[in-house]
Order: sequence, then structure tokens, then C-alpha cells
Amino acid sequence: MYKAVGVLCILVGCAGWGHSLAGQEKERVRHLRALSQMLSQMRSEISYGKHTMPEICLSLAELNDECYSRCFGRIYERTEGEGGTDFPKVWEEEIGKCLEPLPLREDERRTVTELAKSLRFREEGGQAGRVGQAELFFEGRYRQAEEAVENRSKMIHSVSILTGLLLAILML
Amino acid sequence: MRAEEILGLFPEESRDRWREVAKQAKRLQEIRLRACLPISILADNRESFVDRQGRIVDMPEAAAKSAPEELESILGHLCRYSIYAFADEIRQGFLTVQGGHRVGVAGQVILDGEGRIKNMKYIRYLNIRIAHQIRGAADALMPWLFEDGRVMSALLISPPGGGKTTMLRDIIRQVSDGTVYGRGVNVSVVDERSEIAGSYLGVAQNDVGIRTDVLDGCPKVEGMMRLIRSMAPQVLAVDEVGSLADAQALQMAGGCGCKLLATIHGGSMEEVRQKNYMSYIMEQGLFERYVMMDRRQGACRIVEIYDKEGKPCTRR
Repeated sequence: MYKAVGVLCILVGCAGWGHSLAGQEKERVRHLRALSQMLSQMRSEISYGKHTMPEICLSLAELNDECYSRCFGRIYERTEGEGGTDFPKVWEEEIGKCLEPLPLREDERRTVTELAKSLRFREEGGQAGRVGQAELFFEGRYRQAEEAVENRSKMIHSVSILTGLLLAILML
Repeated sequence: MRAEEILGLFPEESRDRWREVAKQAKRLQEIRLRACLPISILADNRESFVDRQGRIVDMPEAAAKSAPEELESILGHLCRYSIYAFADEIRQGFLTVQGGHRVGVAGQVILDGEGRIKNMKYIRYLNIRIAHQIRGAADALMPWLFEDGRVMSALLISPPGGGKTTMLRDIIRQVSDGTVYGRGVNVSVVDERSEIAGSYLGVAQNDVGIRTDVLDGCPKVEGMMRLIRSMAPQVLAVDEVGSLADAQALQMAGGCGCKLLATIHGGSMEEVRQKNYMSYIMEQGLFERYVMMDRRQGACRIVEIYDKEGKPCTRR
């Protein structure tokens, strides 16, 4: 009886571990998609609305989920408040803080945090084009990750259950 | 006008240099920055210079010179790091920033295929003109602008720098809010060069009254008819009538039942009458009051007020 319960616990534990690993991958895909969509929105606001960067941050704060919303809200407050702090500096600080705990790769983080430094175009076409480049980068990463996550998810689940079985056999 | 507002015009890293200048906020009229040339300021109509430590000095030799990168950085900050959003204003040579201050820009223009100005690059000259709204500037004029509680059409006349726009702004505010001479009415303003309301991102930075609608950056001729159709104003205000098309648009607006408040450059009633586009309007009696203004010892003053026939008004 105890052995059966032990085997079950090991199996459930390993399956859970596998599920959590697969979940992290899915979380990464979700964030890549969210970032790509935000950049697309930013590009539209520049092209069609001709809004300033702090204003765009305000609209991003209103439309996105909590982690991004807080970050963009703070960027708007700090740049549009009394005197106003320099936008590229605030962007780098706040976006850096926001992306730090997320399951993203270093180059993905850098693409967003360093984006503001390169946004100094005199025409909306150039500015939107630069944001569009970053958007394409994330769109590509999102597609790759989405394809990979399905296969990897199945593999991770299988490996975790097999590991559980192996552990159970060894312990028996 | 607060010192913090002046400091806020500059990027964070260079604010220390401007602290001394910002203390002069109430007297400050202009800050002129020219690439590789001394930084100058105008306060109380007196020119001074700013040295490296931010002290105000009298001699240009002691003054600090602006680096081209510094000018780019200030422009970027003034445009909230979104120069593209201000491209139309920059094309016209000025932009209005938070607080209603106007920044004149000059550099190298980029032309399109048809020889029109497309944009500007190498912006190396900035003239930051500090906005000072003078509340009550029109107090002395208000009794002559109302008759039986009804506002009258008025044309303000003065040479350049005579205070017409300052006066017009305060008239608009008082007509819109209402005074002891008459109730507040809906006023529409065509603010072609953002000088009256000083709009920044569509919001008037100057107090132009609670019943005032502002069409910012729109040519006068197009703007007047647009506002009449869309906002149904009782009073329509425009700055600097300067062409036959402007005069014709005023006439049409007057024909729609709007009272008009406008300004025009001129040294005398005769000089204005001699402008071919104004003579007909004046003969038709479109304006019920003509206000002659000038500037003496730095202060704007009303020289004379005329009625629609061009006769001086008697003081009530």
C-alpha cells in the first residue's frame, strides 16, 4: 500500500515538474506575443496618431495586462510630470525592471530596453519604421517559439513521466 | 510663472546651468541659443548672457557657447523625445511647448520635389519665448466692448510688438467668462500660430475662458468657417488679419451673425484704412470698435478707441 502511494507521489511530482517546465515555455511565448502586439500598437500610434512617446506609453498602460500596464504608467508619470525626466533613461530603467523577472532571452530584453535610445527620428515614417523593426524581431521570435513549444511541451511531459517511472522502479 | 517651469524646458542633465536664469522667471522674455555662439537671455527688455556656471553676465565674451548636440538634446526634450509629432510646427519654424511657451527654430530646411519645406535638419538656433499671460490687460477696454450687455466686434490695431495678442487673449478670457458688463458667451478662436491659447497637445496653456473653443494651428480662412459650422460661436476671434482672403473670411463670419475680435498691424486708423483689403470692411461697419494701441517704456497701452464710423469714443 505504502509503496503504491509512494510510486503515485513520485509520478505526480515528476509530471508536475514537467508541467511547470512546459508552462515556463508557454509563458515565454505569451510574453513574446504581448511584446510584439505592444510594438505594433506603438507603431500605429506613431504613424496614424502622431502621438508623443509618453502619450503612447499612457495608452499602452491602459490597454495591457498588469505587469506592462504598471510599467508604462510609470514611464508616462515620470516623463510627463513636473519638468519631466528624459524619456530614453526612464524607458530603460522601467522596462528593464519590468522584463527582468520574465522568461525572456537576453537579446530579447535588450531589444526592448534599448529601443528608446534609437527613437530620434524627425518624421513619423522613420520612427514607426524603427519600432516596426523591433516588432518584426519579436514576431519572428514568437512564431519560432510557438512552433517549438508544442513539440517541446509533449517531449517535456513524456520525459518527466518517464523520469518518474524510472525513479519509482529504482526506489522499489 | 515658476522657476520650475523654466527648468522643465531643459533636459535633466543640464538643469543646474539654468537655475540662475530660472530665478528670473517673472521677468524673463527670451532665451536664445545659437550653435557655437554665446547663450543670451532677454529679461525686462535687457539682454544678458549666461556663463558656464549658469551665472548671468553682461559681456558676451564671458558667456558659455551652446554646442550643437546640446541644442539637439534641448529640442528633443521640448518635443518629449518625439520630434516627429511636432514636424508640422517645426516646418513652420516654431513649436509651442508645455506652459504655452513658443520655441522658434532655425537650421537647414529640407525641401520636397516641388520646392516646399518638407522638414528641417541641423536645427542650430533656438529662441525660447517665455509666455506671460497678463490677466486684466483688457480691464480698461472692457466698458467699450459691451453695449447693453451685448459684446461688440472689435479690431485691435498696433505696430508689431504693441501688445495686440496679449490684449486679445485677455478680451477673449473676459468675454468668455463674463464680466460686469455682460454675461459670458461662447467664443471660438482660430489660433493659426498657437499664440493666443498657446495650445500644447491640443490643450490651451493660457487661460482663454471657460466658454472658449480653440482650433489650433489652422489657417484663419478655413478655420473661421469651420468653427462657425461646428461650434456655433457667438464671438469669433482671430489674430493678425493680413490678407484679402482673411478679410473676406471675416466678412462672411460677420454675415453669419458672429461678433468678431481681431487684430491687425498698423500705426494709425488711416494706415489700416489704406490697406486695400480692409477699406471695404471698414466702410461696411463690420467692426463696431477700433482700438489703437502702442508700447511705451515696455508697457502696452491703449491710445484711442474709435467707433464704427471712425470717431473717437467719448469716455463713459
